[in-house]
Amino acid sequence: MNYHLPAILFLLPLFAAIAMPVVCLKHREWSRPISLAVLSAMVVVSVLNLNGVIQYGEVRYAFSGWAPPLGIEWVADGLASVVLVALSVLGLLALVFAGPTAPRDLGGRVVHFYVLILLLIAALTGIAFAGDLFNLFVFLEVAAIASYGLVGVAGGKALFAAFRYLLLGTLGASLYLLGVSYFYAASGTLNMADMAEQLPHLLTSKAVVGGLLFMFIGLGIKMALVPFHVWLPDAYTHAPESISPILAALVTKVALLGWIRIIYWVLGAQVIIYDIPVLLLVGVLGTLAAVIGAVLALMARNIKTMFAYGGISHIGIILIGVTQGNKTGFAGGVFYLLNDAVMQGALFFLAGALVFQYGVRTVQDLAQIGKQVPWLTGALIVIALGMVGLPPTGGFFGKWYIILGALEAHNYVAVAAVLLSTLLTLAYFVKLFEAIFRQRPPRSDVLQSELPLSCKLSLGVTTASIVLLGLFSDPIVQWILNQALPPTL
Amino acid sequence: MVDLLLALFQRPNFLTFVIIFLWGFYIMLTRYNLVKKLVGMYLVQTSVIFFLVSISAKQGATVPVLLTTTDPVQAVDYVNPLPHVLTLTAIVVGVATLGVALALCAAIYRKYGTLDEEEILKKLQ
Repeated sequence: MNYHLPAILFLLPLFAAIAMPVVCLKHREWSRPISLAVLSAMVVVSVLNLNGVIQYGEVRYAFSGWAPPLGIEWVADGLASVVLVALSVLGLLALVFAGPTAPRDLGGRVVHFYVLILLLIAALTGIAFAGDLFNLFVFLEVAAIASYGLVGVAGGKALFAAFRYLLLGTLGASLYLLGVSYFYAASGTLNMADMAEQLPHLLTSKAVVGGLLFMFIGLGIKMALVPFHVWLPDAYTHAPESISPILAALVTKVALLGWIRIIYWVLGAQVIIYDIPVLLLVGVLGTLAAVIGAVLALMARNIKTMFAYGGISHIGIILIGVTQGNKTGFAGGVFYLLNDAVMQGALFFLAGALVFQYGVRTVQDLAQIGKQVPWLTGALIVIALGMVGLPPTGGFFGKWYIILGALEAHNYVAVAAVLLSTLLTLAYFVKLFEAIFRQRPPRSDVLQSELPLSCKLSLGVTTASIVLLGLFSDPIVQWILNQALPPTL
Repeated sequence: MVDLLLALFQRPNFLTFVIIFLWGFYIMLTRYNLVKKLVGMYLVQTSVIFFLVSISAKQGATVPVLLTTTDPVQAVDYVNPLPHVLTLTAIVVGVATLGVALALCAAIYRKYGTLDEEEILKKLQ
């Protein structure tokens, strides 16, 4: 039974997505309960899967019994399983949040709205488990097509943002596929484990070098790494309030996970091509992203744009962690990835609630609301502690291990970049708090409207998780060090 | 330099791929009409698919359908079938993306009454 859990985890949302247009043909109000039930089942199965992986070691699932180098293989190791738990829980919370905040003029299309969300989650599951480079491409594209549709669902400005996202995303996918075909031409295999055995003899091949470059640019566009990030702020700002949490928390993080897989499981950590250590190259880009993203966030006026740029800078911080080439940095990076998924979810739940309930879009609008909504302000304070990285939140411990890893690698530029990015993060949250606490609120109609319970639930659970991840950071990081490290580190 | 050119012309599939890819990329960058951008995007996708198919070719090999059922299979006699299968999947992905893109274009046209990127950007301000 344990052996089949990864496949079940993927097939649950996929079958629900395929069956839903038929089942909900007459009763479109069933689509939400069905999606919630499927996601709850996914949470249970993913926890079982994680438990199984902890007790019996990693699962290598061969589809239809075809043995790995020829057949399609899925790898449910510690890293994929723990990310899957975060993915299912955040997916469920985002779906809870999506109910009342869904665009009001959807009508009969509400069924397709939920179908796209389920397809997105199924594809993200596939990316996390894929043990095969071409499989990764297919799931990247399924996830991307679902997100284009979801971004554009609200109409208006979102349409153009979705179109740009589509153009850049497709270019990224084409480059990734090109890189995969180079790798295939050089090694004759697509399976990650098999390729890892072939590649050490091929590192001087120009096909591998070129393929690696194309793959990296392709995945860089997908994970919105500076300077390939231009699609992200518009898409996340104009996407419907119910959709931006799911995109921000999951899509870029899972693309980043795909990159971690390729760099550590396929290439091997210490790989040096033409005298350039690949890790160092990626680390430099991460350093740039961490600082530039935070500067752009400080300059943003729209709250959702600000949070989107914050996410871009955090992608950079995670990359700094995982590219230090030592265990501490890697564990810190993975822990920060989990934290960042939760924090981005919480931030966009908050921004979504502000837009949906009070029509607050910019920092000036926020000043009019002021501190009249105490528990939204409270949630913002906790999230800000996490984003800036103050104890006892998870963000602090993630950055702590990343900095320890960078010190261990004697990479002082990376340490400085993390600290600078932290200061800039503090600066843009101070901007928000200044708006809330300094100015007199001229609006008094705020107190009459109360948020729907499901919005409070999603925001409350993610906010509490930020603190909980901090309190239990030690066992989690220890567990990552014991069970989720790549074999080459 | 001569060596480089010779190496290039001995690989006409690479050359064709590079030309189609760059042509598509150029169209994506320079045209303001959204549908023309999509044409460029589709050229980029097609060029990658073309490259993937072209690396499966072998000299003196035939289509990957077994010639005899009695003799042991000689890999030299058949072209590599795997890239073709990958290509099928990639084509399906490309068609789906293009479908979504055209639907978005239609929605943009209904909303803004134009497909020109500059005019849309002006109306967005």
